[in-house]
Amino acid sequence: MNCEVCQLKELEVEHFEIREVLRCILHTIVFHRALGLVRPKDVDLELFDVTYVQCGDVELEKKIDEKIEHFISWVEKHPNKKSQICLSFYEVKNKQPSWFTNKIERLYWEQWYINLNVAQHLKAHSSKSHNSKVVVDPGEEERIARRAAVEASLREVLFQIIKFVNEKKDHVPPIPNGDGVVYFPHEVTIPSSSDSAFGMDMIKRMLQTGHPTMLS
Amino acid sequence: MDLQSNLQPESGKLEQIVSQFLLKSLHIILDSRVPSLRPHDRSGDLSLGSQVRKSDKWFNLVLGDRPAALDNLNFWHRNVMDPMIIDVILVHQGSNSPSMAVGGSVETVIERWVVQYEYPRVVAAQPSESSAYYKKTYKKSIILLRALYSQMRLLPAYRIFRQLSTSSRTYNFDIIYKVSSFSDPFSRAEEGMMEEHSFPAVEAYPGRLCISVTYRTTLSDFNLEPSTSMPPKIITDYVGSPNTDPLRSLPSSGKGVSATSFTLRGVQAPAPVPSQRPHSWTSGFHRAAFSAQNQPFVGSPPAYYPSPMPYDYPSPPAYYPSSMPYDYPSPPTDIHGNRVQHYRAPTHQKAISHDDYQLSPPFSPSPSPSSPSYISNAYPMQTRVRSETAPVSIPLPMTSRSFRHLSPNSSDPNRSSLPPLSPRSRRTDPSSQESPSGITYFRKIESLRSGEMQPVTANHYTGQKVTRDSKDDSGRFSGLLSSSGSPRIGFSRSSSRLSFQDEFDDIDFSYPFDVDDVDTSDFHASVNIWVYSQNLDGKKASEFTSQSLPIGRKSQDAAVGELVRMLRTAPPLRQDPSCYSSHSMKTELEGGVATASGFFMPRKAVDALEELRSFRDMKDLLLSKSGRVISKEEA
Repeated sequence: MNCEVCQLKELEVEHFEIREVLRCILHTIVFHRALGLVRPKDVDLELFDVTYVQCGDVELEKKIDEKIEHFISWVEKHPNKKSQICLSFYEVKNKQPSWFTNKIERLYWEQWYINLNVAQHLKAHSSKSHNSKVVVDPGEEERIARRAAVEASLREVLFQIIKFVNEKKDHVPPIPNGDGVVYFPHEVTIPSSSDSAFGMDMIKRMLQTGHPTMLS
Repeated sequence: MDLQSNLQPESGKLEQIVSQFLLKSLHIILDSRVPSLRPHDRSGDLSLGSQVRKSDKWFNLVLGDRPAALDNLNFWHRNVMDPMIIDVILVHQGSNSPSMAVGGSVETVIERWVVQYEYPRVVAAQPSESSAYYKKTYKKSIILLRALYSQMRLLPAYRIFRQLSTSSRTYNFDIIYKVSSFSDPFSRAEEGMMEEHSFPAVEAYPGRLCISVTYRTTLSDFNLEPSTSMPPKIITDYVGSPNTDPLRSLPSSGKGVSATSFTLRGVQAPAPVPSQRPHSWTSGFHRAAFSAQNQPFVGSPPAYYPSPMPYDYPSPPAYYPSSMPYDYPSPPTDIHGNRVQHYRAPTHQKAISHDDYQLSPPFSPSPSPSSPSYISNAYPMQTRVRSETAPVSIPLPMTSRSFRHLSPNSSDPNRSSLPPLSPRSRRTDPSSQESPSGITYFRKIESLRSGEMQPVTANHYTGQKVTRDSKDDSGRFSGLLSSSGSPRIGFSRSSSRLSFQDEFDDIDFSYPFDVDDVDTSDFHASVNIWVYSQNLDGKKASEFTSQSLPIGRKSQDAAVGELVRMLRTAPPLRQDPSCYSSHSMKTELEGGVATASGFFMPRKAVDALEELRSFRDMKDLLLSKSGRVISKEEA
């Protein structure tokens, strides 16, 4: 089984937009991959005129929110950096323990890379404070234009997700049985603090996924 | 039903999958596009713990109650091989042509979804493991439907669907749908505005399941706005219609009347109001709906606020609170508004419109279209005018006032449909209005003979019962006399009378009997002559008075002349040599006003004369009373 990787289009977001944007993207992806019984829930974004769909599972929501908080704290420590969140779907395979991996092996069959560029636009804030009396704030206009651009990009990303989800279906493993919301095991990984560690992470994942030739 | 546990043969499986797929996709589309089918807002219904119908579990997508329309689908969509074409249609007003006929709603297909099971010409080899194959097919169709569900929320039509379904307001558009197995192709123009998107098909041997959509990329072409409900506002042109005062020539009465309909609607249609449909409630409504879409509403008063007649007639917007002296009570508007709540209910308006179109007048005389900005100026204008009333010649303010007063009266037949305007609002400023309006009012009464004017007059001139009675009588003249005469003679039965006199003092009193511009001009001549006659010669005065008659309208002239004669021939109220006024009065009466300054003096002298007379009368009365008292005391 090959692992499909999807690199989503990079989004330039401001700090306060991260939460909403990430929630939107992550939930959308999961919705298309949570193939168990689902009662969809429409969620409107506050910052943008976008509606996305959630699985309606409280647990899932909590989990995703947690991860988003981790990410935000990481971004605060590393401002003005391009960051990536990886949402991976894996299959749990019990393999014989080897010195590479532990008992339970995760077979990643799909990975989504959400690329964010968190920008801190301090300029806008300052201009606002200075021109408080000005009716038409140049900073405001800029912000509005930027907001519209982000919204358009977000929509594009959502379209991208839907497209990818539809195009590549063969690799999706069979749906596990069960009641309630059943979705494939997945994890959200955030780049660790150092680049080297991040690289290490990638290697680790590669090993876990397993080279196609290694699989029988 | 879990397909994995399905024991039906493969063909049955396929048909089941396909038919359920069609149903599910229809359910998704209708749920996301047609607000009327949605039983409730589903966002709160999250828990899967609640009983989920088995039929709803198909494709692991629980959507809730299936609309009844879906149940009908089974009846007509017999052949699963037929494509299912779902048209999402937007019902809206023809935004391009405001002058469209009434009730013109246009249906435009904004989305066309085609869900079908494509059967290929050449059938490929059957897959070996059909059950596993169909499991896969089922799984893929789940994903496809999820994608469809998400996509529905990303297309432009979703926004207007949300507007309709979540907001409690009414809108001037609606979304309906049409399901069929065939459809008319789009015209070239339509196609140019639409984009197509196809979902990757799901292999379902021997064919495949396909969903594609042709959708309008933008819906901003349509002016989709909330329909403004009847606001308790507007009816700016409440005062007098052209018909209420036939004597008054209005530039275009038709326009004025039709403006009201727009007023009620809360919006104003632009000038294209046909003059032959003065009342066009319905058209107004519809047109108003258009214009609402087309024109941003300028303030709350209708954009059609009429530039007052040539004589600057500031009729106040109805919604202004009583701070305005001329404000019109909102109730009529409200009531009318309630009646004409929705633009789709033209019956009320039609009824009204078919009434004598004079009736729409309660809302407006707006004879001439004016720019929207005019309305916002109306109020300040009015105040300005009012303040200027004193120094400015009478006709202007009086005219306006008269119209204002008349408006409720004129709308007799309308009254049935609308509550009578409470003239109390006008009472708020009696001093500035009542005296001249009283006179003008009666003049109007004469012309209109509206029985309803009684209450109005009563409100205005509390003490002037005489007037009313006289008004009721056929004797216009007598009515006029009593109304106008009372302040003159000083039979102040109420404080308002005194205020009249004050008012007269303030106002340029040259045209005491003036009603409106048209008449004013006439009276101007007549009064001038009269005054002048006084100057010249007392004897000649009477002649001139009589001569004044033919100049203006006969009724007015006759009344004036009679009054003048009465005043002249009235004996001095008190033979008191100490009272200079009597002397002067006599002199003035007989010899005309002693004036050397010329034209303006005589008027003032007359004014003073009248005042003196009234005061003398009062004094007389008081003295007589006191005399009795004294005599009593003495006795």
